[in-house]
Amino acid sequence: MRRGWLALLACLAVAASAAAQETPDVQARRLLEDGRAYMAQGKQKQALDNFNIVVSSFPATEAVGQALLEIGRYHMEVENDPAKARAAFEQVTKQHARSDAAPGAYYYQGMLTLNRATTPAEIDDALAQFARVETLYPRSDWVPRALAAQALAHRRAGRYAEATDLNRRVSLEYPASDAAASAQYEIGRALALQGLPKVAMEEFQQVRNRFPQSGWAEPALQRTTALYRLHGAAKPSFAQDASFAPAAGDLLKDVRALLVSQTGALWIASEKTRNAAPIDAAGKLGAGFSAEDPRTLALSPTGDVILASRAAVRFGAKDVRTFTTPPEKPGAPPKPVEKILAAAITPGGVVLVSDEDREAVLRYDAKGEYQGTFPGGRDAAKRKVTRILLDGEGGIVTLDRDEKTVRVWDESGKQLRSIGPVGLKRPVDVAVDAFRNLYVADEETGVHVFNPQGQLVTTIASPELRRARALTLDASGAVLVYDERAQRVLRYR
Amino acid sequence: MRLPRATRNLEGALTALVLALAPLTARAQPAPELPPAIQAEVQAAQDALARGVGEFDGPQQSRSIVVFDEVIARLEALGARALPPRGKDVLAQAYEYRGRAYFGIGLSEKASENFRQLVQLKPDHALSKERVSPKVVELFDSVKRTLVGRIAVSSEPAGATVTLVSPGGLRTELGLTDFFPIEVLAGEYALEVARAGYRTETLAVSIAAEATETRAVPLTRVLASAWFVVEPAGVEIWIDGELRATTAGNLAPEHHEAARAKGLDPARAAARVEIPNLSLGSHALELRRRCYQGVKRTLDTPEPRDYDHDAIRLEDSLASLKLSSDPPGARILLNGEARGVTPAQIDGICSGKVRVEVKHAAGKFVKDLVLEKDEALSLDCPMRPTLAFIGVEAASAGGLRHLADADERIQQNLAQLSSLNFIAAPREAVDRMLEQDKLTRLSLLPGSGSDPDLVRKVTDRMAASLDVQGFLIAVLPEERLQRTARLHLLAAGNTTAEAVEVVFAEGPAYAPLVKRLDVLFASERPWSGVVTVDTLTQEGVPVLRVVPGSPAEKAGIVAGDVVLGADGQPVKATADLLAAVAAKKPGDKLVLHVRGAAAGAQPRGVELALGASAREIPLFDPQLVYNKAMMDLRAVVEGYPGTEAAAYARLNLALCAMHFSDYAGAHEYLQKAKAELPLRPGLSRGTALYYLGLALDKLGYRPQAVEAYRAAADAKDATLIDNDGPAVASLAARRAGP
Repeated sequence: MRRGWLALLACLAVAASAAAQETPDVQARRLLEDGRAYMAQGKQKQALDNFNIVVSSFPATEAVGQALLEIGRYHMEVENDPAKARAAFEQVTKQHARSDAAPGAYYYQGMLTLNRATTPAEIDDALAQFARVETLYPRSDWVPRALAAQALAHRRAGRYAEATDLNRRVSLEYPASDAAASAQYEIGRALALQGLPKVAMEEFQQVRNRFPQSGWAEPALQRTTALYRLHGAAKPSFAQDASFAPAAGDLLKDVRALLVSQTGALWIASEKTRNAAPIDAAGKLGAGFSAEDPRTLALSPTGDVILASRAAVRFGAKDVRTFTTPPEKPGAPPKPVEKILAAAITPGGVVLVSDEDREAVLRYDAKGEYQGTFPGGRDAAKRKVTRILLDGEGGIVTLDRDEKTVRVWDESGKQLRSIGPVGLKRPVDVAVDAFRNLYVADEETGVHVFNPQGQLVTTIASPELRRARALTLDASGAVLVYDERAQRVLRYR
Repeated sequence: MRLPRATRNLEGALTALVLALAPLTARAQPAPELPPAIQAEVQAAQDALARGVGEFDGPQQSRSIVVFDEVIARLEALGARALPPRGKDVLAQAYEYRGRAYFGIGLSEKASENFRQLVQLKPDHALSKERVSPKVVELFDSVKRTLVGRIAVSSEPAGATVTLVSPGGLRTELGLTDFFPIEVLAGEYALEVARAGYRTETLAVSIAAEATETRAVPLTRVLASAWFVVEPAGVEIWIDGELRATTAGNLAPEHHEAARAKGLDPARAAARVEIPNLSLGSHALELRRRCYQGVKRTLDTPEPRDYDHDAIRLEDSLASLKLSSDPPGARILLNGEARGVTPAQIDGICSGKVRVEVKHAAGKFVKDLVLEKDEALSLDCPMRPTLAFIGVEAASAGGLRHLADADERIQQNLAQLSSLNFIAAPREAVDRMLEQDKLTRLSLLPGSGSDPDLVRKVTDRMAASLDVQGFLIAVLPEERLQRTARLHLLAAGNTTAEAVEVVFAEGPAYAPLVKRLDVLFASERPWSGVVTVDTLTQEGVPVLRVVPGSPAEKAGIVAGDVVLGADGQPVKATADLLAAVAAKKPGDKLVLHVRGAAAGAQPRGVELALGASAREIPLFDPQLVYNKAMMDLRAVVEGYPGTEAAAYARLNLALCAMHFSDYAGAHEYLQKAKAELPLRPGLSRGTALYYLGLALDKLGYRPQAVEAYRAAADAKDATLIDNDGPAVASLAARRAGP
């Protein structure tokens, strides 16, 4: 027994001696790598501990810059605390400007700024942060990511040509970087948004030709499919897919809304069954959400399904919110919103709720505080908006059934364009594709497709579609429309 | 009795000259190495002798005696046997002068004693009446007569070495027999007569003063000799593995008949040659000469006599080589001798080892061959750039002791490179060239702070001087567990080296590096000119666009067609079509199965003759060794001047330069590429103009950049990447600005 203890002590002594032989640089590097491994495994707190030890116990090592960078990322991505994140990144750029972490810190400072940017000046501020990466560290691995981030900033500002230029640089000059495939994809997207669908198709196809193993190859195929359907031939071509016939029993009765989620599942909201439920690609019905008097379905910027029902809005599986407006008289209780018609959430976290009683779209911040109507001020008008959705480029699309009008707004409430009432008879639903084309379901006339300039591109109609009631698009631009008479979902590819 | 001063001065000058030349004479004939102490002593004695002679020739001759005493004392202390020939000469001179000095002051006895010592040292010494007083000569001769006799020796056969051995063992070589009487000290001696191939004879001889002894010595033969007649001259005769003679000259007429009888051409045969001193028994005989077939025989010499070997004729041994190269017109060197240019058929090459060197501005080809008689070999000689290894440097003191090992291992392992000739550059020559610009090897590497243009200039000059296209510099970093070397590759004319690390002592560690370096960038690919798109809804791939002037357009394919198959295989995605094209070569045929856009159109077969699309080198590809690519591209530029291939190589050289942020270098390449590239759809002049704009922008010449962009924007169908890549025009127009 005594001999066993001695052997153990000897082993510990050898191990301690081996550790003692490691230089501080090696120890710090090991702690950093372990921390990154924890992060990859989802053990964020353990990861943060490692990074903090590097900073506090090995302040003179080369790993400190990287550790601070990781700490900043933790605050930014895990805790969503931009102030702490910025402090960590600034420590890198000011105190470790020569470390290989410094370009990364500039990149993340730019991302923090861009994420909160709402004005051109703020976007320009983000651009300046990104530009420092190439200017100060021209041979850093962060350069292609910083260029792609600059492109993103330009896109946010609607400067598609500049965005394309920068993404082209990433795609051409850094084809081996992890940003190259997405940059190539963004080129296609920007060209499509500029109304150059054929060139855009070529660029999307280049994603598939040059980066076939990347995660962007499949989305590119969906985009080429969507564009080819609209612009490949002399006329747009939507053919009904006879093989598509999901069976969902009563769920297909009194359908109020359709939505294709990011996973490709078709969500159906039914008044008959008082719930919304998904049907996967194999036709299998999944667990859904119950809702009294369901109204609309929408997707949050993070991919959660938003189900608006008469008295509440459900954001994903667990987050159910009700809304109020401030009392009309001091001391009175807040007035609940009891007749919700539609709801959506913007990338900035603003929740938009259409209220039938107040005949307005109400605006709430991320904490649920009422912020006024949307739009506010002079543009405010009484409207019964029955559908709200986002177009992916910062546009907010609303449908007012009574006015027979579809409007597109920017996030500040400025109206960008509108469709109707001329040409629309009984519009019931609206959808928007990745290229800002609007699809309007009309009970009487089928589904009309309008380009971003508001011109009618085509109308989807067939004998099978007798009365459209709800509408959605899948990732490849196929149109899924609920026919109220036949109580079925039709797909046009 | 004194000679006139002028005569004495002349004599002194002559003596001084003789003494001065003595060391030179000694140096001219290699002598056994003397211990330094003896050499110093002899030199000191010689210096003293010169002083003594000076005194001797001066007004007080007697004062010289003291100096000659010193000379004699120094040399006698060394002992007669230890004295080298120069020492003996100095000692003899000292005896003579001291004797003459004594004589001059009237001490004849002392003079006689010195002359006696002189004769005992050199019995054949003589004094000339023309430079020395006749009275002195007379005294000297009288002394000599009492001490010296003569001996004459002859032998049968003559040519034997005669040595006189005194009873004390002192050996004096007298010369070769037969010789006339030679003066020797009177006394009892053993006489040795020796000749190679004969037994050495020893006989006693007594030589009396003033008498002459004569000896005739018959010699007994113990070894054999062999005589050869060989055609041609210049043939080496090896006996038992030892080179014994090389045939030369012309065969004497009296041997012509015998030679002719053995099938030799007497006019081409060499003079009869003897190989003497062959031991009795059997010997391995071998006759060798380049370009002739060797002959091996057994030579029997059982008895100690002369043997006449049968005349031998060596047969020619020639081969031929057919050499071609791409590009042609390369200079051919066989074993360093110029033999025309490629393509060439070269006959009459001597068999055996041949170093074939084929050199062109594009590179060179080097191969060592062993050619057999009558072999006819065809060689296609690819022109490869040459990489010169210019040495190893240690970044820390710890690395210094590994320099030699690293140098050897790197040379040994990189010799495996197949797309480059790898040579070690002469270290001194490289040092000299670098020193001209106050550079070192390390200052050619990134981070050294050297002026990039200086690096470009120096590497260009070194490349021209060493006839290479790139350089490899190894640096041993600080101590690590495994000894690593950072290998820096720098193309001639480039400014930035790229580094790869290897564990230099481990052969397998070089394999990935060799593989990377042996990658040749394919500057063109087969091309159809049809641009298709994948969809989830279409069967086959719809044609979006057909490049004007492309094979697809010529074959009648139009936008809207749908490609259903290629060479009988279904095409479900663009990748299938691209793979079908990539599997071919430019010029090959490809049959596409195509359906027209019109409703109800029937599928049809369309045959395309594939073209070639040039390709851009990616600006940043971590797998690519850009300096190696630059070496290959420069080879194309040099090898195919004025061709499209050279123009596209320049475009890619510019992209390589831009990879290293060397925009000045890129600008230079692009200026030429712009002028050389054709104006047409695809990768073309517009591409070069676009990149020229980029380079000028980077260099800060915005107006010129705008001009280049505008010119690029006018090249409507020019593309980037390859012929199917993105259009230049829109990009250039945007960069040009409003």
